[in-house]
Amino acid sequence: MNGVASHDAFVELVNGHRGILFRIARAYCRNEDDREDLIAETIAQLWSAFARFDGRSSFPTWMYRVAVNVAIAFVRKDVRKRRYVAPGGEGVLERIAASEERAEDERLDLLYELIDDLAPLDRALMLLYLDEYPHVEIAAILGITETNVATKIGRIKERFRRSVAAGGAL
Amino acid sequence: MENAVELDEIKNLWAESNRNLEASMRLNSILMQQSNLRKTETSLQSLARSIALEVIVNVIGVVLIGVFISSNLNEPRFIVPAALIDIYFIALIVAGARQLAELRGIDYDEPVVAIQTRLERLRLRRIWTTLATLLFAPLMWVPFMIVGLRAVFGADAYAGGAAWLAGNVLFGLAVIPVAIFLARRYGSRLAASKPMRALADSIAGHSLKSAMDSLDSIRRFEEC
Repeated sequence: MNGVASHDAFVELVNGHRGILFRIARAYCRNEDDREDLIAETIAQLWSAFARFDGRSSFPTWMYRVAVNVAIAFVRKDVRKRRYVAPGGEGVLERIAASEERAEDERLDLLYELIDDLAPLDRALMLLYLDEYPHVEIAAILGITETNVATKIGRIKERFRRSVAAGGAL
Repeated sequence: MENAVELDEIKNLWAESNRNLEASMRLNSILMQQSNLRKTETSLQSLARSIALEVIVNVIGVVLIGVFISSNLNEPRFIVPAALIDIYFIALIVAGARQLAELRGIDYDEPVVAIQTRLERLRLRRIWTTLATLLFAPLMWVPFMIVGLRAVFGADAYAGGAAWLAGNVLFGLAVIPVAIFLARRYGSRLAASKPMRALADSIAGHSLKSAMDSLDSIRRFEEC
């Protein structure tokens, strides 16, 4: 694939799966500026690794792995954070329509609070679980065994149930 | 959903929220242009650049000390402190080179646990290097002074007498516990300045503990 074709393919693939970037940024960063920085950093990292994407795993699986690695490194407090502004001075994200989140907002906030309480690696596991990745793929992305994935998901579910029971509602 | 929730409902809520998010946002197309993607530096590339710069500075130090030694070959009293400084710089070059090698092995498209372990090991290595540099620096004060006075002013630091030199060595030794005490006691008040806070955390051992805790949590995550 030549440079232009490779770039076009990259843009199409990343745009097609941009939800992964949004979800991970939302799960790992509390404020909007950090989310935009994380997304910009992830895109730069995806682009720099794209030449090595060999199709052995699906693109979303590969993208998830890169994005989670970048996010965990990003939230560590010693990682250098830069205020990222896209060329031209605009933000990294463009709002194209008003979000339809309304009544669910409060419940979603609580769901994110529950996710936020998890350690960074458990958080990645939970995101993959919520996105309905099969255990075998979660294991491959994280680099742990399928048995370990099943055990950990069970524990996190139990923790969620306890939190919901203690908090009264989600 | 009042007092209880099923996990399936959570998944539905999550999926619906994601659909809304994707429908309402898109990535800035200017950011995605090939020329801009090429120009964007990742944090790993930026870290590699700063480590390489440190290595270059230390190599320059070794070269300068080499020049000093060669011009003072007949005076062992100047060669000994210069050799100590040389060892100090060479140790820093080795530490930097190992960090760069470790950094080169980090590909974010590999499994998360493996990459995070490597990142934490690299972090640990950097903290140890910073700690060793900071704690050895006061001890190196006397050799630096002897070589510096000779190289810049042609002066002889030994002329001050043995007591004066011993006083300087003791001063260097005293600085280390005082620096650790101050970092532990007042480091938390440096929140306004991130680099200073990072320095204080390194001296106090907080960064080391945090990196070791992170490595430990990754190990625990790997275990069932």
